[in-house]
Amino acid sequence: MNMPRLMAVEFYKLRKRMMTWVVGLLLVGLVILLYSVLWNISGRVTFFGDRQNGIRFTGEDLRRALFLQGAVPFSLEIVSTFGTLLAVILAAGAVGSEYAWGTVRLMATASSGRLRLISARLVVVSALIAAGALLAVAVALAYSTVITLTSGGSDFSFLTAGFVKEQFFAYARTLFVMAPYVSLAFAAAVLGRSTLAGVGTGMGVAFLEPVVSNLMRLGGNPWKSIPNWLINANTQVITLQNVVPEPLPRFGPSRREVVSQGLHSPEVAAIILALYIVAFIAVAFVVYRRRDITAGSGG
Amino acid sequence: MSEGREILRTEGLWKQYGRITAVADMHLQVFDGEVFSFLGPNGSGKSTTVGMVLGLVRPTHGRALVFGSDMATHPWPALRRIGAVVETPAFYPYLSGYDNLRALAIMLGDIPDTRIDEMLELVGLHERKRDAYKTYSLGMKQRLGIASTLLRDPELIILDEPTNGLDPAGTREVRELIPELARQGRTVFLCSHLLHEVQAVSDRVAIVKKGRMVAQGTVNELLGRGQYLRLRADDNDALAQALAAIPWITSVDRVDGYVRAAAPTAKSAELNMTLAQRGVYLAELAPWEVELESVFLELTGEEMHA
Repeated sequence: MNMPRLMAVEFYKLRKRMMTWVVGLLLVGLVILLYSVLWNISGRVTFFGDRQNGIRFTGEDLRRALFLQGAVPFSLEIVSTFGTLLAVILAAGAVGSEYAWGTVRLMATASSGRLRLISARLVVVSALIAAGALLAVAVALAYSTVITLTSGGSDFSFLTAGFVKEQFFAYARTLFVMAPYVSLAFAAAVLGRSTLAGVGTGMGVAFLEPVVSNLMRLGGNPWKSIPNWLINANTQVITLQNVVPEPLPRFGPSRREVVSQGLHSPEVAAIILALYIVAFIAVAFVVYRRRDITAGSGG
Repeated sequence: MSEGREILRTEGLWKQYGRITAVADMHLQVFDGEVFSFLGPNGSGKSTTVGMVLGLVRPTHGRALVFGSDMATHPWPALRRIGAVVETPAFYPYLSGYDNLRALAIMLGDIPDTRIDEMLELVGLHERKRDAYKTYSLGMKQRLGIASTLLRDPELIILDEPTNGLDPAGTREVRELIPELARQGRTVFLCSHLLHEVQAVSDRVAIVKKGRMVAQGTVNELLGRGQYLRLRADDNDALAQALAAIPWITSVDRVDGYVRAAAPTAKSAELNMTLAQRGVYLAELAPWEVELESVFLELTGEEMHA
């Protein structure tokens, strides 16, 4: 039994599952909502800030930022924050539900190897997440095309080979920073034999790590250097390489904050994140391969 | 029945969970084309044994060999030839019965869609094939489980409590299906607590208690068929004394107003004549019929409830 067949069945199951579509629609809905809100604000507010302390940006600036040029990085910014949480749910659900339903036995006895089975699942989940990110980008491109054309911004001179290349890099960076959380949720769902374990761990780390990191930084030495080796700080380093046009919102820390925290270079951050990804996947694979598959929700 | 090719063997299979011994020194043998029943009270280690046989559970010691493959280290060649429903049937609740079998068919490969329809027809689920699995009754889930085991046309079928949740008609269908599967040349490994059903369809039986096997053999061997006679006379004391004096009768005891003698049924006429010569005239002489349930109770000290 070969991998394509195992991947086909994983895709078949996820395609037929309501959760997959709900997660995708939530992401698309979020992109549309944010674009709509910002578009609406840009038309109603003349400027942001105040005249005495200086105008930060005007409504026109905001509208121009919503033009086609910024669609890809801004939608990827949405994907890397909110999309990561949805991806965690998808990954944890793909593994954890098998234990809850007891289908882990069915799959283990029908497949040609547990490692192949879990590999196929991981590949398909990753592919769906990549497709979801692409869908979000496509929706943002469509929305901003409408905005661009209806607002007299139909100057497409920015569309150079270098620009397109950078958008691909931005897409790759976004998927890369999502991967540690997705692989963590995947591993936790295998270890805990439940969706809840995966979602709880993935989201828990995503939400709590920045809080704990801030506390550590306040704690001085030796605590303050520890966050630089954790997931969140390094994903921020990578995410900052994507250029989101001002004044569109960024959901992570600013470049200035990152510099002030003395974070790693993008290359070192990428290596650290890669090590996390490998470690989480290795744990999931070893546990899934070696552990007994027993009755009921206990798996 | 004559023993065919051995297709399943466990050698000193042992499973320890911390200080709890789930299965201890289990030696099983299952031969080609037979219906083998695996009996035991709840918590006796049946499902753990089946888990080890399918490679789902790693033995602490010993090994399970199916079609020559060690199921702990290299189960895949054997699993391709096995259809199994372990404990309760488990399928994707959001998929229909058809889609669940379709998913399995994609995984197994080379199974045409017509085969899925055939199997659903066979188990009487064709009319509900488009309904979500989560809407099925327990009986329908069981039937889908049986359909899934047959989908890949397996040589060995492992069924764990296959009649659980079925109505009387469904139970009868499964009871008729099991020997039919054996007639088709398949081997059936059946875990059940419905002893009278097992007795009707099984060629051989193993009984386990607290993880240890207490008996294994053909149904006739376990029931002692052809080896005991049931006798009654006006004076059962005199009858018992006379029987005890006959050298080829190995044991005599009293059960429910009868005298039970360990004697081959083929010697009934000779025994009747011997007793008459000794002045003991029989009111009743018949083979001693025992139910598997009695044997089970005797061996395990526990009752199984249907």
